[in-house]
Amino acid sequence: MPALAESRRVTMRFGSFTAVDSVDIAVNRGEVVGLLGANGAGKTTLIRLLLGLVRPSQGEVLLFDATPSMATRRRLGYVPQTLGLYDDMTVRENWRFTAAAFGSTHASLPPAIRDASDDLVGTLPLGLQRRVAFAVAFSHEPELLVLDEPTSGVGPLSRARLWQDIRDSAEHGTGVLVTTHNMEEAAQCDRLVVMAGGRVVAEGTVNDVIAGREVVQVQCAAWQRAFEVLDAEGLIVQVQGDTLRVPGSQRDVRELLARHDIEGAISTVPANLEEAFVSIVSAGSPR
Amino acid sequence: MTWGLEDASVAFGSRVALDHVTLRAEPSTVAIVVGGDGAGKSTLLRALVGLVRLTTGVARRPAKADIGYVPATAGLYADLTVDENLAFSGGAYGLRGAELSRRSAQLLERIGLGSARSRLGGQLSGGMQRKLAVGMALLHRPPMLVLDEPTTGVDPVSRAELWRLIAGAAAEGTAVVAATTYVDEAHRAATVVLLEQGRPIAVGSPSEITAGVPGALGVVRSAAQPAGLSWRWGATWRVWAPSRDLPAGAEPLRPGFDDAVMIAALADVAKERVDARAR
Amino acid sequence: MWAMIVKEFRQLKRDRRTLALLVVLPVLLLVVFGYAARFDVSSIPTVVVGPEAAAVAGHLHPPFDLVDVDAAAGRSLAESRLQDGSVAVAVVTSSDRVVVLMDGTQLFAVQAAQAAIAHMAQAAAAGGAAIPPVSVQILYNPTLSTSWIMIPGLTGLILLFIGTLITSLGIVRERQAGTIEQLAVMPFRPWDVILGKIVPYLLLASLDLIAIVVIGMLLFGVPFVGNVATFAIGALLFLLVTLGMGVLVSTVSQNQGQSIQLAIMFVVPQILLSGLIFPVSSMASGVQWIAYILPLKYFIEISRGVMLKASPIGDIWVQLLVLAGMAAIVLGLAMLRFRRDLAPSARHARASGVTPEAVPS
Repeated sequence: MPALAESRRVTMRFGSFTAVDSVDIAVNRGEVVGLLGANGAGKTTLIRLLLGLVRPSQGEVLLFDATPSMATRRRLGYVPQTLGLYDDMTVRENWRFTAAAFGSTHASLPPAIRDASDDLVGTLPLGLQRRVAFAVAFSHEPELLVLDEPTSGVGPLSRARLWQDIRDSAEHGTGVLVTTHNMEEAAQCDRLVVMAGGRVVAEGTVNDVIAGREVVQVQCAAWQRAFEVLDAEGLIVQVQGDTLRVPGSQRDVRELLARHDIEGAISTVPANLEEAFVSIVSAGSPR
Repeated sequence: MTWGLEDASVAFGSRVALDHVTLRAEPSTVAIVVGGDGAGKSTLLRALVGLVRLTTGVARRPAKADIGYVPATAGLYADLTVDENLAFSGGAYGLRGAELSRRSAQLLERIGLGSARSRLGGQLSGGMQRKLAVGMALLHRPPMLVLDEPTTGVDPVSRAELWRLIAGAAAEGTAVVAATTYVDEAHRAATVVLLEQGRPIAVGSPSEITAGVPGALGVVRSAAQPAGLSWRWGATWRVWAPSRDLPAGAEPLRPGFDDAVMIAALADVAKERVDARAR
Repeated sequence: MWAMIVKEFRQLKRDRRTLALLVVLPVLLLVVFGYAARFDVSSIPTVVVGPEAAAVAGHLHPPFDLVDVDAAAGRSLAESRLQDGSVAVAVVTSSDRVVVLMDGTQLFAVQAAQAAIAHMAQAAAAGGAAIPPVSVQILYNPTLSTSWIMIPGLTGLILLFIGTLITSLGIVRERQAGTIEQLAVMPFRPWDVILGKIVPYLLLASLDLIAIVVIGMLLFGVPFVGNVATFAIGALLFLLVTLGMGVLVSTVSQNQGQSIQLAIMFVVPQILLSGLIFPVSSMASGVQWIAYILPLKYFIEISRGVMLKASPIGDIWVQLLVLAGMAAIVLGLAMLRFRRDLAPSARHARASGVTPEAVPS
């Protein structure tokens, strides 16, 4: 079964700047793929390549097993981070406009947003706006959905509802590509592709990406002093309440703290996704 | 004399933006307010710094010169250079001359902008802008630092660096209050206030909130939606039984913080329904 | 494509400011070019003095509008009436000749008067009557140069632009960037912020003003015969009105686009209806009142008066007073509204309403 969207060793150069460097990525039917990366990592350019908005300098992009074209646009749904909705029109009007543009006038508003049909989109809370944007993008039953930070800024309940919508569509057979900054959201995806400096630097499930990385955890009464000491060494210390987490070796940390007469419980614990990401990205691209 | 809000409520006309919220801002601690859009986080912070008047309750804060505030939008001037931004902020708080340049240099080093002093604010990346804005607020070493969604939209690496900056302030004794929509950031706090439509639905340290989850949590590893209050998690479903009777097919699961947040939100919705019916 | 058209209409019907422009602008242009844009002068206020006043006055028919006939008064009264602008033509009679003085700053009135006199001379010659020698002197603007009239008015236009349009943009830019909130939390008093925003534009406008006047004098030979201090006071008062307008516009605009739209609605009527181009006295009486609420009208009278006629304060005190009053009202309103942005308020209207959402099942 060919992938819905695929890139093979795709490279994109703008003058002397390489935005995307030999990237292989595929989105298959029924799966939710998360594209995780810092700004400037090439996520946006890669999306634009997959959507057919730009042509690659090198390599191949396949959309529905063919070169991207106008015809393939209809099989595609896209929600940008800015939602692509008109604030000064009602939900129903937005829906009708998109339906008319895609020629899918038979579709009717899904029940979840029907109550808000006559409200101006600009007056709705963000969570509901995002659900409307999703519904509108899905109205013409696309085979591939591309969502840019779909739950950014939204509360836990709304996030859950949105992900339910996303999962439902994946179960329908739609392939979904989600770009995100948010670790929680990344954890909801079937598969992650991590980008840095235009390249894919990690792939797989959350655990695959963390790949057994560990951090040193320090718990002590004088956490402030411990923080200052570790911070002065240039280590990126994270604080959780009064517990410190710092990448590095347990022995070095123990030595450092001992030198400053700071006592505490020092242990090694698994890194979380964010810490793994930071370590991958810092290693992968020069800052 | 602690700062913070005590049983504070804010109503805009008939709309209740904040409903009996208590939050303490203590030196050397980070308090985080978590909630979605419209939950009342900004209102809470603005009430704390004095931009919004309380309808009921008490707000305690230090003098204006002892507060550092970074609003949800950038908080710096796009058409001024990094140096000029710092000079403005410093000047406003009475920092001038040698002291200003020393403190600016110190902060710029920490932020990593030491070599970009003459770059325009608008030319910096999103993450750098936020770091500069936080730096500007810390210039005068305020005893209280208030940050509205400092990391929204910022890439993960800059986010980690921002939190390092913020943690550094706490380590130096600042009372930090920050608002965020990212639940996973709440782990960094000593105190968390979870807001939903202006109501505090969970308050305490992350471990207190996690431990205080009522009912039972279960996981269902099929695609079919289980009966009861449930939500998706990746390819599985989580289901919550307030009465501790998990539906068939659900394996019991120890709740993590994210689960606790979700459950608190669900419990709140159920409670609001009951209250609405009673009215 | 049809979908695009429908969408555009739907959005337009909710965009009040653009609709206002669409409706207000054509109406304004209609009014202006229908009723206000007149160069013809139908009545010329005239005073006749000197020993033969009564006799000469008897010959002066419309368009001359005899405001006063005073045989006891002489040339000095005639000149002072011309200077204070209460008449456009002053006839000084004596036993052997008639001198007609005209106010060169009222171009069209002068042209109409000249035509009328030529007509009268013709008629008299045809009728065979003996007429005393008539000489015409045009004061203040002897060559009837248009640029001498326009440039003092232009000074007002510059102040209007800078004061209203550019000031409002400067303040709205802060609002758009979201930094106003921060200023409210910093140890600034509201006055610090407001004055800090206004003073640069005040200085810039003053510099611009001086530049225009100097260039006008050098390039076009526009005279400046009056008191510089008087001019400065008038300019300052007018500037305060326009700056106040600018701040007011900024308090009701969320972004620069909106403030430009609103500022245009304030500025354009003033360009057309304040007497800058078309004399106020020529405007149809039904619309003349509009000019009286436009600050630019009063400033043009001050600048033309001081630059060309050396008007003393006694002649323009009404205009100065009106401008002072307008400044007080506009600035007062503007400050009140602006303070609300900077002081704690429990009545901020929030953009996002809270709609109860459905519970996940």
